[in-house]
Amino acid sequence: MNRAIVRAVAAALAVAWAGACAGQGDEEEDLALAYGDKSFVTIASGVRQPVARAPSVATVITAEDIEAIGAADQDEVLETVPGLHVARSGVGYNPIYTIRGIHTQYNPQVLMLVNGIPVTSAFTGARSQVWGGVPVENIARIEVIRGPGSALYGADAFSGVINIITKTAADINGTQIGVRAGSFKSRDAWVQHGGTWGGFDVAAYLRVGATDGQRQIIAADALSGTPFPSLAPGPVNLGRDAIDARLDLAHDKWRLRAGYQQRDNGGTGAGVASALDPKGHGYGEHISTDLTWQDANFVRDLDVTAQASYLHITEQSDLTLYPPGFPGFPDGVIGNPYKWERHLRFNLSAAYSGLQSHKLRFGAGTQNDDLYRTKETKNYALVPIPGGFFPAPLGAVVDVSDSAPFLRPHSRTVSHAYVQDEWAFAQDWYLTAGVRRDQYSDFGGTTNPRLALVWETAYNLTSKLLYGRAFRPPSFAELYNINNPVALGNPNLKPETNESVELAFAWQAASTLQANLNLFRYRMKDILRFVQNPDASFTAQNAGRQNGQGLEVELVWEASRSLRLSGNYAQQRSIDEATGLDSSNAPRHHVYARADWRFMPGWTLNTQVNHVADRRREPSDTRPAIPDYHTVDLTLRKQKWKDDWDFAFTVRNLFDADAREPSPAPGLIPGDLPLAPREWRFELRHQL
Amino acid sequence: MHCPMFSLATPSSHAESGGRLVAVLLGIVLLVTAALAQAEAPIAVVYPDIGEPYRAIFEKIVEGIEDRAGPRVVKYAVKSSADIAELKTDLRRQDARVVIALGRQGMKAVAPDRSMAMVVGGVSTVPESEVRGLSVISLSPDPSLLFSRLKALMPAAKRVFVVYDPRNNAWLMRLAKEAARAQGLELVAYEAQDLRGAMQQYQTVFATADSRTDALWLPQDTTTVEEGSVLPLVLQESWNRSLAIFSSSFGHVRRGVLFALYPDNVELGKSLAGLALGILASGNHGGGGMMPLRDVRIAVNLRTAQHLGLDLRRQQRGFDLVFPEP
Repeated sequence: MNRAIVRAVAAALAVAWAGACAGQGDEEEDLALAYGDKSFVTIASGVRQPVARAPSVATVITAEDIEAIGAADQDEVLETVPGLHVARSGVGYNPIYTIRGIHTQYNPQVLMLVNGIPVTSAFTGARSQVWGGVPVENIARIEVIRGPGSALYGADAFSGVINIITKTAADINGTQIGVRAGSFKSRDAWVQHGGTWGGFDVAAYLRVGATDGQRQIIAADALSGTPFPSLAPGPVNLGRDAIDARLDLAHDKWRLRAGYQQRDNGGTGAGVASALDPKGHGYGEHISTDLTWQDANFVRDLDVTAQASYLHITEQSDLTLYPPGFPGFPDGVIGNPYKWERHLRFNLSAAYSGLQSHKLRFGAGTQNDDLYRTKETKNYALVPIPGGFFPAPLGAVVDVSDSAPFLRPHSRTVSHAYVQDEWAFAQDWYLTAGVRRDQYSDFGGTTNPRLALVWETAYNLTSKLLYGRAFRPPSFAELYNINNPVALGNPNLKPETNESVELAFAWQAASTLQANLNLFRYRMKDILRFVQNPDASFTAQNAGRQNGQGLEVELVWEASRSLRLSGNYAQQRSIDEATGLDSSNAPRHHVYARADWRFMPGWTLNTQVNHVADRRREPSDTRPAIPDYHTVDLTLRKQKWKDDWDFAFTVRNLFDADAREPSPAPGLIPGDLPLAPREWRFELRHQL
Repeated sequence: MHCPMFSLATPSSHAESGGRLVAVLLGIVLLVTAALAQAEAPIAVVYPDIGEPYRAIFEKIVEGIEDRAGPRVVKYAVKSSADIAELKTDLRRQDARVVIALGRQGMKAVAPDRSMAMVVGGVSTVPESEVRGLSVISLSPDPSLLFSRLKALMPAAKRVFVVYDPRNNAWLMRLAKEAARAQGLELVAYEAQDLRGAMQQYQTVFATADSRTDALWLPQDTTTVEEGSVLPLVLQESWNRSLAIFSSSFGHVRRGVLFALYPDNVELGKSLAGLALGILASGNHGGGGMMPLRDVRIAVNLRTAQHLGLDLRRQQRGFDLVFPEP
């Protein structure tokens, strides 16, 4: 029946299109003579600026792409990037950005930047546990770099870098209000303005939203089949309330940005202890500001940028680890860890182009990461039992912040310096060499190089050979955790590292066809893991190695003036060297395809198909392999309706596929983590 | 609001019956009133109601027209299926005596009515048979601007080759020859009226061109710069021979030509408004014919510049767009 509906809709659209497009062809033909195809028109007409070419294998997603696919969340956008799959952690269903086969539960191996500044929490080394991303309507573009990038970006640019650029005054250009509502009682409203005021370029954004979240059923959890009460079968807990505000002021060489982001009542997903927790919730708050000064002509041929930035993170989790009725716990096993962090950064960078055949970049900076306060209340203590630990009641919820917290306040200072040169050593040949030194106040220093050999092979073909080394420093949890026998810190850790070699080809096969191919190999060493001790406790260790190889193919085809087809295929195989087996959970095959059909002037229909396949279990996990899945999404968008209104209707997971992400070994949630069923949403925007 | 000009059309009889002073005063009043009426006469802008991203081009041109001509601008967005008769009635009711028609759709909607002066923009070219009585600013950049940019980027340039279809670009080549001479360049222009002819002419170009001093110009021409087969071969041969190519089409920069000039839409709008205001002020019908685009921006391909051995580091600040961005 679903297919019949789709066919009927397609037929109706085709009829409408035939009538409406007759007169537009000539017009576009004329404009194409001056501008080129559609993508050039948006650049040439000043609507979109071309983006910086990243020095690695990069993907750029624009605001137009985000609108076209009807995304309401940055993770829906990131899933479209070749070689990147967004898996889910059971804890809050937080995203695991699995790039080229590197999949870990807290996912600190991906560096997340907002306007080039890390949003990294010192506690896990990843995004904080209650972050929730940047709202999509405020995103100008997302740049994703796959592979190691520590020679430029420093810590955590390990499997990849995701840089989210928010909209400036020019991007917004006027005042826009918007609302979005859909399944799971999701609703969002926002207003954004871009203009000039008192000689300043001003961009302002405010959004308020809430959702109950999808409520797919977890059939069994960690307590199912035990003598203890379980809430399974029961729904996942994915509600949240959101407030976002952002201000961007620019004048001449100065730019001041400030952001506020609050997530409240953030659901616990499938439960922090793999036991359903419908009452648990989290509160997260991010306050950020940065001041940037750039003089593109500081002295002749020297472009200098100085930046100071500040980020404050509050994270408060109120959790019921095991439900009421657990022996000795009439109210359930309760744990409420809170933490507060502040991060202060100063950076100075410069680009010098005064030397024939050389382009130099260099920079230095310092930062302080300060987890300055922790608080913990709980009604249990873990006591050893044969083979593990068991919660023993404390009688009531007590404050253990001073006596036995999960972590005491810690701070670290990091200084860095880097230099990079791009040398045009022969016609059409370029060699880029760079190195960066990071010095940490706690564990010491690390030096990471990169080399890139670029050959402009033909007028329509560029070939690159890339080498890079990256590091991820141990997080505060890995260094300093205490009183938690299942995750104890170890102050004697060193960073984990990743070395990678890539071969990349970018080929403009025809005026309407672009093809990219990347081949890669990588090797991780000194992997940071919590390793079990003889007394059954776990301590962070540099343990293990992993290697992998794979490829990514990307195609973009402007099939006609009204139809654009694009897609990518990523394949990877990663091996844990200790076992010789698959390093697990990451898809070995990932296919994404997309069609954008402008079937009538002002109307677009976007279809995307996402296929995730061949995810292997961890060696200690005896469950059968997790099934592959594919989802289909549709977005219908009308621009300039009644002049200043845009609306969009989106159906995600049109065919209601049973899509699941793997729960970690040994499978305390045996049926894995179900993703959202079919859902719809409607969006309305008005340009004032 | 525009009636006074007609109601005061016969005041000269006062000069005979009254004093000289009255006549002079009345004459001044007449002139001022007429001038005010002229100044406030509406300028109709008829532009295509099409989808994005093309819509943004016309919106920017209209923005420029409004910048220059102010509140007197009356806008009509016309669909391809629009009722032309209704539009004409509306234009008469507005007493519009100058209309700026944008795009082919805008031109088609207004063209049959020659009772109004007409300024045209946002089109590549207009057939010579239809251009009489019109003032058309083409989307084709002025050759003199192209050639002066070429000299700036490649000072050694002495000759420019071009292959064109006279049915599309005869008017432009007449200007180009003058422009080349003024810049101290020699223009070697070959005609071709089909793909095969174009390919043969390009072979001649490649056989004779000296990459140190010669360059190839790609005009806006669907015959001789056909995108599917001609352009890839021209790009490939030019790359292999390190021959500089420049273009009148923005999209070619990403494909690998050294530079292209493309419309600055807001400025183009101002120029169109300037023509319309000039017609109103002069009271004649205009009819300036085809004019090349002088409101341009420049996009440069730095990858190609490096391949050609051109050092553009010092000039980069003057470029509006570069591909690929460093």
